[in-house]
Amino acid sequence: MKSSTEAEAAWTAFTFFTTLDRATQEQEFDRLMAANGPALARLAASYTNTSSDRDDLLQEMALAVWKALPGFRGECSPRTFLFRVAHNRAIAYLARSRARFPLAATDAEVSDPAPTPESGLVRAQAAERLRAAIHRLPLVYRQAITLALEDMGYAEIAEVLGISESNVGARLSRARQLLRETLEKTR
Amino acid sequence: MSMDTELETWRQEWQSEPALPPDLRRRVERQSRWLKIAIALDILVTVTMGGAVIALAVRVRRPDMLVLAAATWLFIAGAWAFRLSISRGLWTPAAINTAAFVDLSIRRCRAQMKAAAFGAVLYVCEIAFCLGWIYRHSARSTPLAGWLTGSLTARMVWVITIVFFFFLVRYRRKKRGELAWLVSVGEE
Repeated sequence: MKSSTEAEAAWTAFTFFTTLDRATQEQEFDRLMAANGPALARLAASYTNTSSDRDDLLQEMALAVWKALPGFRGECSPRTFLFRVAHNRAIAYLARSRARFPLAATDAEVSDPAPTPESGLVRAQAAERLRAAIHRLPLVYRQAITLALEDMGYAEIAEVLGISESNVGARLSRARQLLRETLEKTR
Repeated sequence: MSMDTELETWRQEWQSEPALPPDLRRRVERQSRWLKIAIALDILVTVTMGGAVIALAVRVRRPDMLVLAAATWLFIAGAWAFRLSISRGLWTPAAINTAAFVDLSIRRCRAQMKAAAFGAVLYVCEIAFCLGWIYRHSARSTPLAGWLTGSLTARMVWVITIVFFFFLVRYRRKKRGELAWLVSVGEE
C-alpha cells in the first residue's frame, strides 16, 4: 500500500498533469528534460551504434515523452514515467533497426574526446569503453544495468521494466558479471 | 574492488557521458506538428476524392457515374479500415512498463501483418474495378486482351501494381523480422 506521502505526491502529479495547457506542457517538458535529458542521451547511446543514430533515437524518445505527457496521471514518479517511455521507444527502435545487432568492436564508432587534461582523457576513454561494453550486453541485462547506473533502486527498476524486484536483482547480478568479463577482455 | 565500489565507479564513468543536443524541444515540436499535418492530409485526400466523385455523379447523372461514386466510397471505407487496423494499439498509453510494451508490440506486429494481407486483397479489388470501369467507359471497341496489354492506362496500372507488391512484400518481410525479434525478447 502507498504511504500517505507517496499518495499525496501522486495526487499532486495527477492534478498537475491533468490540467496541462500548452504552456504548462512546454514548461514541464523542459523541466523533465533538464533533469533527465543527459540520462536519456546515455540511454539512447547504449542502444545505438553511431552518434547520429543516437540523436535520432533521442529525438524519438523526446517526442514520445512530449506526446505522452498530457496523459500522465501520476501513477508513478515523473522519472519512472520518463524512463518507461524512453525504454519503450528504444525497444520499438531496436525492433525495426539493424542496431539490435551490436557492431564488432573494430566497427563501432568511437567518439573522439575533445582535448582535455590527461586525467580527463583517461576518464573519457574509460567511459567510452564502459558504454561499448554495455552496448554488447543482451537486452534484458542492458536495460537493468543502464537504469541502475542512473541511480535507480530495485523498486524503481522493477516499476519501469514490469518485473519483480527479485528478478531485477538476478538480472543486475548477471549483468554486472557479464560487464566485468567484457571489460576485462578489452582492458 | 568491492562490489559497491565497482558499481559506483561505473556510475561515475557512465554519467560523464554525452550531453543533451541543443534545441531538442523545438525539433520535437516541429516533428509533432508534421505528424498532425500528415493526419490532416489523409483526411483531406479522402474528402477531396470522395467529394469529387459525388459531385461528378450529381452533375452527370448517369448510372455508371453512380457506380463509380459508390465503389469509390466503398474503397475509401476499406482503405480507412486498413489504415486503422494497421495503427491499432497506437493510442495505448506510452508509459506502460517494458514487459507490457513488448507484449503489445508483438500483438501490434501481428495485426500489421494481417493488415498487409488485407491491403493486398483490397488493392486487387480496386484495380479490377478500375480497369473494368475504364474499359467499359472508354475502350469497349478494343478487344479486352489487347487493351490490357497494349494500352497506356493498363501499362501504367501494371507498373504501379509491381511497385506496390514489391513494397508490400518488403514490408511483410520486415514485420516478420521484427516479430521474431520481439518474441525472442518477450521470452527472455
